[in-house]
Amino acid sequence: MTNHWNDLKNADCILVMGSNPATNHPVAFKWIQKAIDSGATLICVDPRFTQTAAKAHIYAPLRSGTDIAFLGGMIKYILDNNLYFEEYVRDYTNASFLVNPDFKLPGDNEGVFSGLTAAKTAEGFVSGKYDRATWSFQMNPDGTAQRDPSMQDPNCVFQLMKKHFSRYTVDTVVSITGTPKDKLLEVYAAYAATGKPDKAGTELYAMGWTQHTVGVQNVRAMAIIQVLLGNMGIAGGGLNALRGESNVQGACDQGLLFHILPGYLQAPAASLATLEAYNEKNTPKTNEPLSANWRANNPRYMASLLRSLYDQSLPLEDAYNLLPKIDDGADYSWLTIFDEMYKGAFSGFFAWGQNPACSGANVHKVRQALTKLKWMVNVNLFPNETGDFWMGPGMKPEEIDTEVFMLPCAASMEKEGSITNSGRWMQWRYKAVDPPGEAKPDGDIITELYHEVRRLYEKEGGAFADPILKLTWNYGKHFDPHAVAKDINGYFLEDREIEGVLYKKGTLVPAFRFLQADGSTSSGSWIYCASYTEAGNMAARRGTDDPTGLGLFPNWSWCWPVNRRIIYNRASVDKNGTPWDPKKPLLQWNADTKLWAGDIPDGPWPPLALEGGKLPFIMKPDGIASIFGPGLADGPFPEHYEPLECPVEKNLLSPQMVNPAVKRWEKDGVPELDMRASCDPRFPLVCSTYRVTEHWQTGVMTRWTPWLMELQPDMFVEMSRELAELKGIKNGEWVSVKSARGAVDAVAIVTMRIKPFTIAGTTVHQVGIPWHYGWRYPDPQRKELRSANLLTPSIGDPNTMIPESKAFMVDVVKKEVSR
Amino acid sequence: MKNSSFLIDLTKCTGCRSCQVACKQWNELQSEDTANTGTYQNPGLLSDKTWTLIKFNEIEKQDSVHWFFTKVGCMHCEQPACASVCPVGAFTKTETGAVVYNGKVCIGCRYCMIACPFRIPTYEWKKAFPLVKKCTFCFDRQSESQVPACARACPTGAISFNTREEMIKKAKGLISKYPDRYNPHIYGEKEVGGTAVLLLAPITADFSELGFPKLSERPLPTWTWNALRFVPAQIVVVSAAMGFFYWLTKRKTKKKDASKEVRNDK
Repeated sequence: MTNHWNDLKNADCILVMGSNPATNHPVAFKWIQKAIDSGATLICVDPRFTQTAAKAHIYAPLRSGTDIAFLGGMIKYILDNNLYFEEYVRDYTNASFLVNPDFKLPGDNEGVFSGLTAAKTAEGFVSGKYDRATWSFQMNPDGTAQRDPSMQDPNCVFQLMKKHFSRYTVDTVVSITGTPKDKLLEVYAAYAATGKPDKAGTELYAMGWTQHTVGVQNVRAMAIIQVLLGNMGIAGGGLNALRGESNVQGACDQGLLFHILPGYLQAPAASLATLEAYNEKNTPKTNEPLSANWRANNPRYMASLLRSLYDQSLPLEDAYNLLPKIDDGADYSWLTIFDEMYKGAFSGFFAWGQNPACSGANVHKVRQALTKLKWMVNVNLFPNETGDFWMGPGMKPEEIDTEVFMLPCAASMEKEGSITNSGRWMQWRYKAVDPPGEAKPDGDIITELYHEVRRLYEKEGGAFADPILKLTWNYGKHFDPHAVAKDINGYFLEDREIEGVLYKKGTLVPAFRFLQADGSTSSGSWIYCASYTEAGNMAARRGTDDPTGLGLFPNWSWCWPVNRRIIYNRASVDKNGTPWDPKKPLLQWNADTKLWAGDIPDGPWPPLALEGGKLPFIMKPDGIASIFGPGLADGPFPEHYEPLECPVEKNLLSPQMVNPAVKRWEKDGVPELDMRASCDPRFPLVCSTYRVTEHWQTGVMTRWTPWLMELQPDMFVEMSRELAELKGIKNGEWVSVKSARGAVDAVAIVTMRIKPFTIAGTTVHQVGIPWHYGWRYPDPQRKELRSANLLTPSIGDPNTMIPESKAFMVDVVKKEVSR
Repeated sequence: MKNSSFLIDLTKCTGCRSCQVACKQWNELQSEDTANTGTYQNPGLLSDKTWTLIKFNEIEKQDSVHWFFTKVGCMHCEQPACASVCPVGAFTKTETGAVVYNGKVCIGCRYCMIACPFRIPTYEWKKAFPLVKKCTFCFDRQSESQVPACARACPTGAISFNTREEMIKKAKGLISKYPDRYNPHIYGEKEVGGTAVLLLAPITADFSELGFPKLSERPLPTWTWNALRFVPAQIVVVSAAMGFFYWLTKRKTKKKDASKEVRNDK
């Protein structure tokens, strides 16, 4: 989230699209309700009429996988009706920048952007790669981008955006999305009304946007809308990803993903042989004098990370050599890992706090991949489908050689530590009870593992032992969350005088601006520097004062970065530091004291128009928000492409069906276990997966809880009354849901909450299934086919590789199932 | 608190069912072995193990779909019919506002179940010594100055808890502040002489279509009392005797079953 949960109460309009907070984030609704009580409009856009829709003022259905068409139409609506916040767009975005004249839009280039190299097939370009040379700006001699502040030049970003989205007419959008025209326009009008300087609109998304082959571009489309309307950086605004796990934000912050290190530093590529080369490549540069370009500090953060990871007596260069590197261009994401595992690339696997045999896309392939392992360590609270895959449905235990070790671990209330919520708040939690039996906190398991691996390396040696032997691990036998939290914050490693103050060796660094590039400080994750200081554990604070009245609660827990509750908050004021919305001033410049009042400002500099002032988007090299975003794998503007599996034969916007930059898994045209079926009469129904309130993830925790199983006891499929009649299915009957990859059994919920869509003049039906169930319990003997991911395709977004679990094609047939 | 009351604001209920689970957790009620029957609602009905329930009502009006979530459970009537028909005085309307049940004196006649205009009390049909079960208004929590479990768990503020006077005041304030949001009828304010559980519905819904019966304002006991007060005490004695015989028979059957089990073990 750029903002945070409590801040939802400040919104004038809340667009829920790509998420379902009433069901999946029930506590969030407390703040949404407060906004409604203050007069806010709640909009829900979803293929189904959900619990959120039930509470919304406006509900608009759309076919799964058509969000960019819907949002592209909104961008056109905002531009056509001059509803954008002109001053904000001109000064705080790259709308006025002039783009390379060789750049081509998909409307003029067979449905793709300029620079694509790809095989051309009957369905358009496939498995392409973009050369992004033309996705660039025309530069001045001083190295800054050329601008046209009037935003009239045909090559400026504003005009290109206008031209690009001029194709997204209301009628075309309606034909693609199936949204009723009146509802579409009602949503556009209500949301575009937040373009006024004193109005705030917020957007809440979750997996409903990310689990698509155009996942990142879904979010990009909304980012464009939010900057057009001046909704970024303000109270009640922002682009807010609702996280599906209590600590998934924290996990990402600490480098969970393969391509980033803690604090979102780029993971080093193998070709960057030295720290100098790494810093040269990964430190953004700018010639824009008004840009803070905060990322220019990356070398300080990288040096501090290396100091926290490895033996501090090593020269930084040597420490850098111990870091694992990524082969240039390689992709170690989920789909790739299991594809490689299926091909026999791994002998061992730690499934730690996860259940890939239910949660991965195309789990039949995942389960087959697990059979290729020699060993697996399953660390979990309960036995699950992953650890017990060898006795699952369709498996022959006698033919499987994988040796499985189950390590029981402690649940969250059985250990101390912090979680970082969607709003970036790091909240300390205490242990309530001891873990049962032999279960241990994950930290203890890792510590024990570390000591044993180290012992073996010391005893037996081995290839490249230094990353283990020189790793800093001063945690003794038991994991100490306070020691780790302090390491994450960072220490001064020698006496340093900064700004006239002496910081002694061994003291905690007060904030990341004190971190050094010369190896004299450590910090395990620079964005967390200031979370655990000499003043104490900031995450454990429980102050309930709210001086601004905006729900910032600056003394409750701690928020990265530097307790700033709303990021890019310098965009909430004009060039002179006066808030756009005087009723909800997030920041205000005091000309007498020369200080900011309100939230922690995004940097101490004065307002833009004053001496020493800086542009608001400090993490961007040019200091402004990118309407034209040249950094992605699949285009500088979002463009509608159909899901890999879709019900239509034609993309109504261009000859290109599917995102040309997605990686296909078929080898030489042979799909093996990566089957797909688009526009195939055998699978005529659009299907999406989702959650229910009562279960969590693959149900490993919740299916064991009888009070929750009572509420949602079994797999179901929701469908319209019209589809049920067509198929002769009655409410409550068992049916089989089938895709090109597998089948699951489910109870039919026949409901008026789902309606058939009219897509390009024909009727298209959509169904939906939850993904919480599996065969392992309640009754492992029955080996039931209940996992939604038996149906989902192995295909991912070209930027993130997140699988497309939200839009694929199925059929539903009646079935006799005895229970 | 004296004369305590719930105000259940159905416009704020999102159907998350935290209340339903919190009730089971606090009262240590067993889960039921349920199946999906084509709806999110589960269990289907109140029972001896389920004292509060969120009902999911799908209603289509003029081409627009509504999904209403309604909380059902004991209404804790100001003048409870269950108490007035109970021959042994097992039900008491207490000062706190709760209608509480004393299982020790219950003879199992189940008049309460028939008398309740909201069909709330349930019976432990499968037990040897069955009792009537229903929401206790967390009488035990209230006596320790704790808010009832369901109100404590509700994340959206749909269940508020205070004195009946305060709750009526709050309901009226909401209706006048948000005339476009609320149905102006406060259900339970006047029904059957008033209940301690008060409900507000969205303007788009009528209480009767949400499953709440249309009831007169006259307290139910006033209909029956004129007749019932002359019911001779012998009836009580006869009922008690019948209850005793029932217990005896049940005990015999149970003994038989037990001996059967022993044989099976051998």
